This record gives sequence, structure tokens and C-alpha cells, in this order.
Amino acid sequence: MTADKEKRRAISREAARRRRRVESDVFGDLSRLLPLQASVRAHLDKPSIIRLTLSFIRMQALLRETESAGCNAEAGHAVRFPRGVEAGEGRLFESETEEIAPLDETKMYLKILEGFLMVLSTTGDMIFLSDNVSKYMGLSQQTELMGHNIFEYTHPCDHEEIRHNLRLTAELGCSQKRDFVMRIKSALTHRGRVGNLKSTTWKVLHCQGRVKLCVASSSVSCLLLTCRPLPLSHTLLSTHTFTSQHGMDMRFTYCDQRVTSLLGYRPEELLGRSIYDLCHTLDTSCLNKNHLNLCLKSQSVSGQYRMLVRSGGYVWVESHSAVIPGVQPSRSRPNPSQPLCILSVTYVLSGVEEPSLQLSLDQTFPRYPR
Amino acid sequence: MSAGGSDGTADRPADQAAEEEEGPSQAGSAMPSVELPRKRKGEVEERQILNFNLEDDLCRSEEEDQQVKMKCFREPHRQIEKRRRDKMNNLIDELSAMIPACQPMARKLDKLTVLRKAVQHLKALKAGASGAFTDTKHKPSILPQDELRHLLLRAADGFLLVVRCDRAKMLFISESVSKILNFSKLELTGQSLFDFIHPKDIHKVKEQLSSSEMLPQQRLVDASTGVQVQADAHVRPSHLATGARRSFFCRMKHSRVTGKHEDKHSLPGVSKKKETYRYCTLHCIGYMRTWPSSQLDPEADCTDKETSSLNCLVTVCRLHPPVSHQPPKDVNIKATEFVTRCAIDGKFTFVDQQATTVIGYLPQEVLGTSCYEYFHQDDLQHLAGKHRQVLRSKEKVETQCYKFKTKHGSYVMLQSQWFSFTNPWTKEVEFIVSSNKVVSGPGNAKDESEAGSSTLAHEEAKQILEIPGLSTGVGMMIYAGSIGTQIANELGDTYRANSSPSSEASSPFGSVQEKCPLTSRSTSSREEEAGSSSHSQSLADSSKEASGSSEAECRGESSQLDLDVPGLSSFSSDEAAMAVIMSLLDSDVNMGQSGDFEDLHWPF
Repeated sequence: MTADKEKRRAISREAARRRRRVESDVFGDLSRLLPLQASVRAHLDKPSIIRLTLSFIRMQALLRETESAGCNAEAGHAVRFPRGVEAGEGRLFESETEEIAPLDETKMYLKILEGFLMVLSTTGDMIFLSDNVSKYMGLSQQTELMGHNIFEYTHPCDHEEIRHNLRLTAELGCSQKRDFVMRIKSALTHRGRVGNLKSTTWKVLHCQGRVKLCVASSSVSCLLLTCRPLPLSHTLLSTHTFTSQHGMDMRFTYCDQRVTSLLGYRPEELLGRSIYDLCHTLDTSCLNKNHLNLCLKSQSVSGQYRMLVRSGGYVWVESHSAVIPGVQPSRSRPNPSQPLCILSVTYVLSGVEEPSLQLSLDQTFPRYPR
Repeated sequence: MSAGGSDGTADRPADQAAEEEEGPSQAGSAMPSVELPRKRKGEVEERQILNFNLEDDLCRSEEEDQQVKMKCFREPHRQIEKRRRDKMNNLIDELSAMIPACQPMARKLDKLTVLRKAVQHLKALKAGASGAFTDTKHKPSILPQDELRHLLLRAADGFLLVVRCDRAKMLFISESVSKILNFSKLELTGQSLFDFIHPKDIHKVKEQLSSSEMLPQQRLVDASTGVQVQADAHVRPSHLATGARRSFFCRMKHSRVTGKHEDKHSLPGVSKKKETYRYCTLHCIGYMRTWPSSQLDPEADCTDKETSSLNCLVTVCRLHPPVSHQPPKDVNIKATEFVTRCAIDGKFTFVDQQATTVIGYLPQEVLGTSCYEYFHQDDLQHLAGKHRQVLRSKEKVETQCYKFKTKHGSYVMLQSQWFSFTNPWTKEVEFIVSSNKVVSGPGNAKDESEAGSSTLAHEEAKQILEIPGLSTGVGMMIYAGSIGTQIANELGDTYRANSSPSSEASSPFGSVQEKCPLTSRSTSSREEEAGSSSHSQSLADSSKEASGSSEAECRGESSQLDLDVPGLSSFSSDEAAMAVIMSLLDSDVNMGQSGDFEDLHWPF
């Protein structure tokens, strides 16, 4: 009896082994068909192979959809430099091509943008990531990230906002824009080296992009996003920007002298004032969102909003802000027990509009000579 | 991983991934309401995860997996296996959904078949596709470089621009510029950048392009310390070599007319009188780069050949989404509407210019005055009630139609939506935003006469705000303005009563480890708080002398003002409002006498 059982077990074990071998072979075939680097291919496990296959198929479907939909007329060919035909212009084109093309234009774009490209499906799968993602997240593009779901890598409190952005609206126009801030895991140490998973931290990413709708099959519709970490230090040139520090309630605690030439306020006048008072009422919600982002995610990019100029009218500005430990300008090392404050760099985008208009109480007070 | 058999090895990383997957979700449920990264020690870039559960989930190394899992989660091994199988099955399902050959099948295909069909599908794609397989220059990638570039520009909504620093000649622009500026690449290449920049931004852009000698001091803001560091003013010319970054905003022309620019033969520079130009804001990010000049700009004249290299700015210009140009969803403004902002006591601090067409006053004439001065007497009670309501509610409050006094003395019928703005950090109301729209035309002479005391006859005691004998407009203004102040005071009391323990708990940032005091008490509400405590005292005192049935209510209500916070919500009732107004009168007049107001004399 037992011998029979043993034999049967042996047979079934052998059958299972055979099945597994066949399966492994097919997986091997699949991985060889994928355009991967050899080193990467060697280390793929089965789920990853499937994920990468899915990514490949989806991207191909997406590109085909792009061409056929005619949404982007320049789909396949236009990114190549046209080999100029007319005499005069031709020379210019050719010379450019020789010079710039070898510079690997794509890498240039990614370097300039200081970010990576992410293609997200409507369910949150990261279908595709440009390979410089490892520079920002410290995780390998192909084995660890591609094909996985973004909700595994982002802060739980941002999931709601991400889901909201993934929703497609019914309209078929090409231009549904997305612009939001989220926190993503990063396995980089603060020196920029790849640490292990023990040291993952949150990195704040500013994601901007658009929806790519696929009419034929909605599973191909996706979000195209460029994700850049928000820089914590800025290189400023002198005009048209000013820096300011605020308490967590957005009241000014410090403002640099530039604000006087740009907006007409003296820095002293602003201390203790809330930024909401200084801006156009219709932009309250924009500032509110910015403030909330700062409180929750510690970094934010406001949209464009209007700041009222002291003598009347307003200018359009945009602020890039971050939460940092509060410091006095004279001290160079922050004390960990100091309260948080918000550091803000504000770019002035426009000239003064409607300078004769007095909209707020501040603007009605006459200036006293110094 | 003994149970896995011969393919256990290959599946182990998958297991780890499975555990990683569930990590955040478990952590999500186990996590306390922690949002703010607790990272402020030392380097700002180094962010430690607050929740140690989450950290633990991530920290698995493979060998420890089993042990720790057994220890921490006490999960049987078969659960892990089951999860792994489920994940694999899900992936197989997704794969079959994407492969056309698998679609029409009635029953679900088995794993091996799906995989085999996937192989066939890839082979077919390889035969037909171009870049991914034939692009030998670059390392193999799921997406060929060209397509990647294209997608990038689509996502970024931008174009690449290479510009000579000394002459601002645009040397190269990518095709995508036509989508953004409606100019073709041909029209722009070789042109001067300044021809296309908004006149007021020319100076700004010149600065960005300029060489080190003309460059104003670079100011670096080191965010880890918040200190502004002045960079060395004498920057070497090599500062312009690759790497020096630029980031700025500028406005560029874009042509409204599409379609005309596809013609390759149209020469750039031909004036297009019929088209109008508008400007769009671009965010330009890039860096400086040096190239040999002969290759880049063959049209350059001889003198340039001396300098063997050209400094250029290589930048990606992204269209800046004008999100805030759209009116915010909660405030919709049309032509006969205008927006105002008031402090919590009802004094106007912001009045939009469209108001003038409706109310006749210029913003500056109205700023600083209380909105109650313009409300008609009949509406005071209802609007005071709404005022109270909006200060305590997160919702928008709609008023009924009411009369607003215009500059010329007549009244215009308005209806408003009020919304109180709460500072997300301090959770205190900072101001009230009101969007007002006209309901009917300005009032006629009949309305005007109602401003006086003539309505006394047909008004019941219900119209408690009728002050017998009150006929002077000035007096009424003083009285009206106090309403707003009183309501604001009540709010200050609410804050005081609710302060410290409960407010921290209610804040979503309640876990904030930093002791961040409610700093914004330094608003006007503080002064009013101080004022209100003595105010309420005098209320209590003076209400003793008030005659009539309102006496008891006065006292009762005013004690509620101090002590019984939930009772504040009852202030919207008639009696309560009456009590408040009566006590206001008492304190203002400082009478302490009987409540006979027949011969009330205002000190004016």
C-alpha cells in the first residue's frame, strides 16, 4: 500500500517538476523577448517578468493609439530632426543635428527637468518610468518599480489625492492637465547614495502632466507625468523674486528688501501680517491649498495668484515654499527644538496691473514719508 | 522557504515584494494620525519615517522574513503562499486582458496558455515595431528613446530652446513649440528671443542670459538653515560652463491663429497684421552650456569667430498651467456680482472693483467701514444671524435678499453667499469672503423713506431692531457697527472657551510634536476678547436695570455669553438677538436707567 502511495507521489512530483520546468522555459522566452539589459534580465523573478511584459504591451498600445488618434500629429517622426530640404535652412538644420543629436537629447531633457517621467494607469500601476528614477528614489527602475502600483510607494495620506487625480473625466479633449504634490518613498541616504530599505524616507515630488485618453480601450488610458523633487535650495537672481519667512499660520516673520521695489511694502510693515490679507480675495482658495500642502507635505508650489501692491493694483506671482526649522538669520545651526516656519520664494510674474485700483484696506492708507 | 520546491528560489523576491506591498496598507491601518514628517533634526533632506510600524515593514531582509513574520504577524506560511499565488494570478489575468489573442475566449485561460500567447504577441510586436528593438545606440529599454522624448514633452507641455547668450538668437527649438506658442519651429529659429518676450520681461531674461560680470550677486538660500548666503561676487567665467542652472518665469508671445503656420515656406519675420498676440507664462528651467560656435551658428559673422565657443542657455520652457486664472470653484463671479472680504467683525478689508457699478461707492470709500452700516434696518436681524452662523460653520451660508445702501442713498437688492475662511494651521477664522449678486434694480424713493422710523407703526415687537425715536442716520450707524463687533466678540469667547486641550485634539495636525502655540491670537480678536470680558460684565450689570420682559433673558443670555458655550448657538433666535441688541444699547448709552427709550439722546 505504502509503496503504491510512494510511487504515485513520486510520479506526481515528477509531473509537477516537469510542469514547473516548462513554465520556467516560457518565462525565459518571454524575458528574452523584452528589450532589457542582460544584467537586468538575469535577475528578474517571474512576477517581474510579467510586469515588464505588461508595461511593454501597454506602452506599445499607447504609442499606437497616439499615432492613430492624431492627437499628436508629430507622433512618430517629428522628434527626429528634419533633414532640411531648402537651401538656406537646410544647412542650419544639418549642423544642429550633428551637434545636438549626439548629445542625447532625451537625457538632456531629463537632466534639465531634474525629474523623471512616469506613466500611470488609471488603477495606479506605474506602467513606465524613465530610468533616471533610480536617481531620485534609489530603487531600481525595472526590477523594483516598473509595473508596481504607486500606492505601494506613496504616503498613505496622499492616496486620496492621487486617486482623485487618476480619475478621468468624460470629456475627450486632449488636454486634461494634472498638477499635484505627493510624497514618495526614497531609499537614498541624504548624501545621495542608495541605502537599503531600512532607510527609506519620504521625498516630496511635484507631479505635472496630462491625461492620455485611449478611446478604444480605457485600460490603455493613462496619466503622463513628469515628477520632480521640489528643490530645497534655490539659486536666485536678484530681480523679480523675493524670499520671506512665515510662521506656520502664514504670517510674515521676515521678508527681504526686494519686496519694497516689487510690491511697495517695507519689510517691517509686513511682519505679523497674514499673507491672506495681502492677496486678492479670489485667490484665497489657491493660497489655502498651498498652505494645506505645506502643513501636510512640508513643501508646495502655489499656482499663480495675485498679491496686492501697496499703492494700488496687484501683480501675479508664484511661490515655492517649504517648511523648515525656524532660524534667526544670524544663527547658522538650527536648534531642533525651535518651532517650524515656512520659507517661501516668490517669483513675480507680471507687471503691476491696474495700479490705480485700490481694493483693500491696506492700499488706502497713505504712505508716510520715512 | 521549504515548501516552495525547486522554484522557491525564484519566487523569493516576489515574496518580499508581497510583504512590502502589504506593509504600507497594514501600516496605514495601524498608523496614528501622523502627517508631518518628524524630521527637523539636522539635515532637512533626511526624512525619517515617523511610524515605526511602517519602517519595520520595509526593513525586511529576505532571511529575516520568515522569522519576523512569524514573530510579528504570526501568520501561517500558507497565507504567504496564498498571497503569492493570488498575486501571480492577478498578473496573469491582467496579461490576458492586454493580449488580443486571449480576448475572445469564453472561459478563463490557464496560466501556461496565457504565457505562451504573450510570447507570440511579443514576437508579433517585435516584427512590427521600430524603436525598441532596432535602436542600437542606446541601451535597450521598454520605451525607445524617441518615444520617451516625445512623451516627455507632452507631459511637460513644453519645448526645448537653445539660445545664444550674447545675442539672444534662438538657435534651436523643438517641434513641440507649435503646440504651445502656435508658431512653427521655422518661424522662430534664428530669430531674436527678445522679439517674442513680453516687453516688461526683457530685462529679466537679459539678466538670466548675461555673463558673470553683469550678473548681480547670486543669492543662495540654504533651506536647511534658512540663511541667505551671498555667493562670491566675482564669479569666474567658467561659471557659465555646463551646470550653472537657471530657473525663471517669462511671458512669451503666442499667436491666436492656428493653421497658418504649418506652411513651411512662410518666411519668419513677415508681419502678420491680422493676428493678435497674447502672452502666456512659461516656466523656463535649464542650464548654461558652451558649444563650439562654428557648428552651431554658421551665419555668424567673422568677428564672432574669434570666440571659439558660444555660451548658450539650454532650457525647457513649460507652459505654466493657469490654474488659478479660472475663478475658484467656490466663488463664481459674473458681471453683476462682486466679491468682498471682511474681517470677522464685518468691516470691509477688500472690495473688488466691480462693486462700484453696483453700489456706487469706490472700494476705498467703503474699506474700513462696517458692512452693517449699509444694511437696511429690516435686514439687520437676519444678517446678524447669518453672520453668527457663518463664523461657526465651515459651510457656505446664503443670505436671503436684502437691501444694501448705495452711494446715492437708494437701496439695491442683493443676495450673498458668505464663507468664512479658517486658517488651516490655527483653525481660527481669519476673515469672511462674500460673493454678492444683484437680485433686482436699485430701490426707488419709497425704499429710501423706510430708512427712517416710519415703519415703526406696522412693525411688531418681532422687529426688535426698531429703535423708537431713532431717526438720525448717524446714530444708526454707530449702533449698526457695534453689531458686527459684538458678534466678533462672541467668537473670541468661543475660542477662549475652546482653547488648548480641545483645539489641539481637533486639529488634524494634533500629532504635531512641536509645541506650536496658537499664535494667531494676536488678531483683532484678542483685543476684542479683552474688551469682551469687561463688555460682558457691563452687560450683566446693565441688564439688571433694563425693564421689560427682556430682563430675565438678558441676564440669562449674557451669562450664557460667558460660561455656557453651547448656548451660543441659540443666539440666532429672536429673543437672544433682542437681548444682545438691548444690552448693546445699554452699554453704548451707558444709561443704567429704565428701558424707556422714547427720548433717547445719542451723543451726536
